[in-house]
Amino acid sequence: MTALLFDGIVQGLQLSLLAVGITLIYGLGGVLNLAHGQFAIVGGVAAALLVSFGANPLLASLGGIGAAGVLGLIVDRTLLLPAYRYRGEERLLLGLILTLGFSFLIDGYLNWKFPEFSLSFQLRVPMVELAGIPMRTASLAASLIAMTVFAVLFAFLKLTLLGKSIRSIIENEVGAELCGIDPSRTRTLIVFLAAMMAGVAGVTQGLFSSLGTEMGPEFTILGLLVAVVGGVRSINGTLAAGILLGIVNVFASHYVGAYVAYIILLSFAMATILVRPAGLLARFT
Amino acid sequence: MLVRVEALYAGYGSTQVLRDVSLEAHPGEAIAVIGPNGAGKTTLLKAIVGMLRPSRGAVRYEDRHLSGLRAYQVARLGLLYVPAERELFPTMTVLENLQLGAYRNVRAAGLQLGYVFGLFPRLKERQRQLAGTLSGGEQQMLAIGRALMGGPKVLMLDEPSTGLAPKAVAELYRNLSQLKDAGLTLLVTEQQVPLALSLTDRAYVLEQGSIRLSGRSSELLGDPAIKRAYLGVV
Repeated sequence: MTALLFDGIVQGLQLSLLAVGITLIYGLGGVLNLAHGQFAIVGGVAAALLVSFGANPLLASLGGIGAAGVLGLIVDRTLLLPAYRYRGEERLLLGLILTLGFSFLIDGYLNWKFPEFSLSFQLRVPMVELAGIPMRTASLAASLIAMTVFAVLFAFLKLTLLGKSIRSIIENEVGAELCGIDPSRTRTLIVFLAAMMAGVAGVTQGLFSSLGTEMGPEFTILGLLVAVVGGVRSINGTLAAGILLGIVNVFASHYVGAYVAYIILLSFAMATILVRPAGLLARFT
Repeated sequence: MLVRVEALYAGYGSTQVLRDVSLEAHPGEAIAVIGPNGAGKTTLLKAIVGMLRPSRGAVRYEDRHLSGLRAYQVARLGLLYVPAERELFPTMTVLENLQLGAYRNVRAAGLQLGYVFGLFPRLKERQRQLAGTLSGGEQQMLAIGRALMGGPKVLMLDEPSTGLAPKAVAELYRNLSQLKDAGLTLLVTEQQVPLALSLTDRAYVLEQGSIRLSGRSSELLGDPAIKRAYLGVV
């Protein structure tokens, strides 16, 4: 029981890493990124390639995360430019189509180029006892990394002027422009950061489990579900939703199987839209 | 000349709102644009600050043309706009709202903050409070304070008295006249015509998208046509 709970939290933190990126890109750029899971995969694949070239696993991981970030940068500065020319619904729809197409492209390329790929850092790590439950240190490490990323992100958004400018755009883009804040430069920065966070999720997935090239769509869908449940403009809501859905997913997969678990997660997202359309932690207004 | 609007045409989609509007403001001058609802006052300010692209005509500020500049670029040049909606960041604190106002003016932010708090002591008392929890009058102070943090050369206010209680309006206009006395160039649109005319040096009357009348505010205040149309005097 408790072991499942811990597993759920570990998985949930990974989902949150993906979902917070989706939330930030949506809140700032008005684009729902359907290639977000693929950012994670690209990060993982890049890390694995670096390892196969003989790089040290830590450096390879950082390289993978960087690669995901650079991919995000390229997507923002090229692929999404046509979408940014529009506003509101048009931008959202065009963004959906462009990123969906891009995700097919990445999936197709990776499946063709690396059909048997799987990233798994075969680190021989000991088990530790935590609250009487045997835990793999790799899982703990993955969770610690995710929590550190969130702590840094929150501190950045809360304490620095640049972080505040990002929140100001999410809250009121017109107001931000009146302060002299350039929304498009800030958007590029956020797509870069969000893609790196996806890269972290991809690389750490290889730490406690294995990452395959076919997992992109699954990552994207789970990330979207978490973002919806958390409220697409709420960052702490998304963090909470990730952990919650991670736990639900692990329990459901264990007791009723992975397929039904998916249906349960979808129902969860639908129920959230019906009951709390602005997300779990949304303030009543 | 600090701001000069030359034969400006602007609108939304195929709807033409402004027709051949010209206007100018000298440094240190306070200008009012008055007129009925729907005359195009907000459209005029939006076209000046780059929130709306004019279809014809030009806006000159200092020695440059503003055409083609985005709103954030115009703000960086020192032309700061306080819209009627205020456009604050409601879930951020008063202090954070002010800090963001100085986003492009970080080095002077400390000095500027002292000035804003001196002008609006209420904002100093409430600096840790969320902007969304302020009263209407305080939100207007914050919107003006945030614009002042950017170190404006021209402060443009769209109907600043909107939605405020009479007492808050009186306080607001006292603050605005302090800013004017400090030498700041003001451009104010207003439906409360007597207030706007007593604050400003010169005024333009905008009706159905065109300037119908302009002159010294003190003279317009005594003009029979203005009295009939805007001051409720028969």
